[in-house]
Amino acid sequence: MRMNHLSGLAGAVALTAIVAAAGPSWAQQQAPMLDALVESGELPPVEERLPANPLVVEPVESIGTYGGTWRSALRGGLDNAWIARTVAYDGLVRYNREWDEIIPNLAESWEVSEDSRTYTFKLREGLKWNNGTPFTSADIAFAVELMSEPSYGAGTFIKNPNNPVTVEVIDETTFSFVFENPNGLIMDDLASVNGFTVVSLNKEYCSQFYPKYNPDAEANAQAAGFQTWELHMQDRCSWATETIRWANPDLPMMNPWMIEEPLTGDATRTTFVRNPYYWKVDTEGNQLPYIDRLSMRVSDSLEEITLMALNGEIDFQDRHIATVANQPLFFDGQEAGDYRLGANVPSTSNTLVLQFNMNHVDEKRRELFQNKDFRIGVSHLLDRQEIIDVVFTGQGEPFQVAPRPESPFYDEEFAKQYTEFDPDAAAAAFEAAGLVKSGDVYTFADGTPLQITIDLIASFRSEWVDMMELMQLQLEAGGLDIELNNIDRTLYYDKRPLGDYDAQIWQGDGGLDVVQEPRYYFPANGESVWAFRWQAWYNGANPEIAEEPAEWARNQMDLYTQLRAEGDPEVRSDLMKQILEISKENFPVIGVSLPGNGYYIAKNNMRNIAEPMLHAYLFPTPGPYDPFQWYFAAE
Amino acid sequence: MLRFIINRLIAMVLTLWAVSVVAFAIIQLPPGDYLTTYVATLNSNGDRVDPSTIEALRQQYGFGEPFLVQYWKWISGIVGRGDFGQSFEWKAPVTTLIWGRLGNSILIEGLAVFAMWTIALPIGIYAAVRKYSLGDYLATIGGFIGLAVPNFLMALVLMYLSFVWFGTTIGGLFSPEFENAHWSLPRIWDFLSRAWAPVLVLATAGTAELIRILRANLLDELKKPYVTTARAKGLPEWKVILKYPVRVALNPLVSTIGWLLPTLVSSSVIVSVVLNLPTAGPLLLRSLTSQDMYLAGALIMLLGVLTVIGTLVSDLLLAWIDPRIRYGSK
Repeated sequence: MRMNHLSGLAGAVALTAIVAAAGPSWAQQQAPMLDALVESGELPPVEERLPANPLVVEPVESIGTYGGTWRSALRGGLDNAWIARTVAYDGLVRYNREWDEIIPNLAESWEVSEDSRTYTFKLREGLKWNNGTPFTSADIAFAVELMSEPSYGAGTFIKNPNNPVTVEVIDETTFSFVFENPNGLIMDDLASVNGFTVVSLNKEYCSQFYPKYNPDAEANAQAAGFQTWELHMQDRCSWATETIRWANPDLPMMNPWMIEEPLTGDATRTTFVRNPYYWKVDTEGNQLPYIDRLSMRVSDSLEEITLMALNGEIDFQDRHIATVANQPLFFDGQEAGDYRLGANVPSTSNTLVLQFNMNHVDEKRRELFQNKDFRIGVSHLLDRQEIIDVVFTGQGEPFQVAPRPESPFYDEEFAKQYTEFDPDAAAAAFEAAGLVKSGDVYTFADGTPLQITIDLIASFRSEWVDMMELMQLQLEAGGLDIELNNIDRTLYYDKRPLGDYDAQIWQGDGGLDVVQEPRYYFPANGESVWAFRWQAWYNGANPEIAEEPAEWARNQMDLYTQLRAEGDPEVRSDLMKQILEISKENFPVIGVSLPGNGYYIAKNNMRNIAEPMLHAYLFPTPGPYDPFQWYFAAE
Repeated sequence: MLRFIINRLIAMVLTLWAVSVVAFAIIQLPPGDYLTTYVATLNSNGDRVDPSTIEALRQQYGFGEPFLVQYWKWISGIVGRGDFGQSFEWKAPVTTLIWGRLGNSILIEGLAVFAMWTIALPIGIYAAVRKYSLGDYLATIGGFIGLAVPNFLMALVLMYLSFVWFGTTIGGLFSPEFENAHWSLPRIWDFLSRAWAPVLVLATAGTAELIRILRANLLDELKKPYVTTARAKGLPEWKVILKYPVRVALNPLVSTIGWLLPTLVSSSVIVSVVLNLPTAGPLLLRSLTSQDMYLAGALIMLLGVLTVIGTLVSDLLLAWIDPRIRYGSK
């Protein structure tokens, strides 16, 4: 009681201190490039442009200074993901920099109903689009209405047939998402890179392309050269981070920078300039962003981008160029190029996941691949250290497909089980799996030969070929007849429903985003190639091939269904731990090694960049590290 | 002559129709369609997409319709409205994507052809007239090196050397400040100061080939009696060579003009990627790998058109350059 009282008192004192500190210095500052516009009356003063309570962002190192152009490069005109990562990470909520908490963004607060079906958000008062018009609940409702349209090809939680959503607008700044069934994962969806979707459409502008609001929309679409109004809408009001979104400078945005030179089909450069209505300030009340402009060269040439970086013509970038092969080159070029290397921690748990097809259409193979002893044997035959030394110049460590050490779900036993190179243990395991040795090679118990074909896409990760060739030698030395089948990626996908492949490989997604991407922990989605027909049963997709899963996998599915409907994060994480426990016990897929750290390149005068950064897609690095508070130090 | 041209025009239309069918069929041959590729790409980034979205897109784009229906929609759009369809990947009408890039292609490749001929012709003539001289050997060695080194490797070496020696990155057609500017003298200068690299790279292999062909043809001609006659009649040496044997030796070169453009476009794909040239090549490559079928179809169609027109032009040129060639008159 006394303690509570004390801490309450301390809190009050702290609050007063903040208010006192903020009071006099709260007169907001803006970038010098906007001063003239305000003076000439083209822009209202900064106080009127900011919302009533702008989001206050703590800079990583220090308060910055305004100005400068951040130069980077897109690999070809369709490299929209880099824009998504740098410009477009602004949803209702966002992740904190540690990626362990969801924090306010456009919404200043939210409430979850007891049954986890209703999520009520309160937007900041006085938010404005970059054209100065207010951002309100109506914009959210419009986005959901449009994306619910069956004929409109948009993919988000809004279109989930198992759990449709509607929006209830309560007032200008308050609204609720109401789901048909409980939804425990929606906050993570909204905080991820996909969270941009629901806040990306301005009703006033976009409704003109929608027949529901404008009876001429269909005719206008035809006149503009589009076959349907949907295609016209998609062109003018792309709902997410699609490339085409950055080709329309008229489309209002809520992001720190807005389109200056659009990314049209034949553009060789695209630039972004500060949004004068951006609704974030630093701890001294200076309106963000600090950096005036982003300039992205559109280059199909990886060689050119690499040389640009070496030559100091890139201020910050990791995408495309920060490869294992380039690392020594960039390391040596630091002084000449006046840049530094910082560390990226990848979110993947594994460099390569070997997935045997447990749902093989051939009876004998299905039985073998479902046999845990067989997979243990294969795992023991891999000399992981050799692969790490040869392919990754010693970076990384032997690892199974399990949560990464940085994750709260990390379990050393899970990550390390069966990773030691042990041919004797492998031989014992194969015997237990019912294989017999004829000469140097294992065959089925009835003496029929056993040749295993592993599909891979060489064009995708060049190191996969090196890894697989080593693994082939290692497995053949242990008596398994392995054939590598290098195929095109579309064929790779088309084979899945057919079920006649022995094994496929991919990288280890879900090392940090364990809950969001559980494809290797249980048959969760179409990427669970090791149990494609089981996941079909779970998801209701392609019912013609669905097969009832083994009991342990069914238990996992039940647990995950509960998790998806659970509002309490503690309980969710508990449920996930149970799923992982079953996964550890059944050892469905085989991993090779934990990927070593990646790196980024930043000019020496670029400040406030966090180090190291977690690197993922759902957590769209560097977006969550707030590039709008990066700045160029004067020298 | 007029009848010849009319006949050729009719044949051209039929050829183009055949090209369109084959192009459309080839694009649909690989397994899957654009959407499977799209899903694969998203997955490679660790992103996922809702199966219902894919279904909606499939409807929206009209996948799953029979081949003939799809083909008819496509070709009738082109012929009727000049509408090449929608690029799936760019989510934009194909016509907005291709013209600027085709223009760049024709500009760069036109310059390359020009450079090729201006370098190759004098050297070829010299090499033939001064057979087995030091100059001939040098031209031969240079020619074979040009032929043997892949263009993209030459481009990479050029990029590396200019980075190491001059501290500049060559790539693209303009420096950043001129990228989106209007045409002006400084911009033309900027263009020329960058375009020399791709033009040089693209021209090398072709130059070597031209030198060899011209030299061989000319050597055949130089031994013929009419040359001796011309010389005996006292014509100056340069006139003897340029007026008769060179003209004849040009025949095989002129008759292949038609193939020049498509060859350049297809051989320049990798160079364009390496040097980051905003030409049609990389667009074609990308659209083929991503199965963006209307975009790929439009580009292949237009390459077909260029080839057919080029062939017609070369036939007409041939008739003009060599009076011995007569059409249809027996």
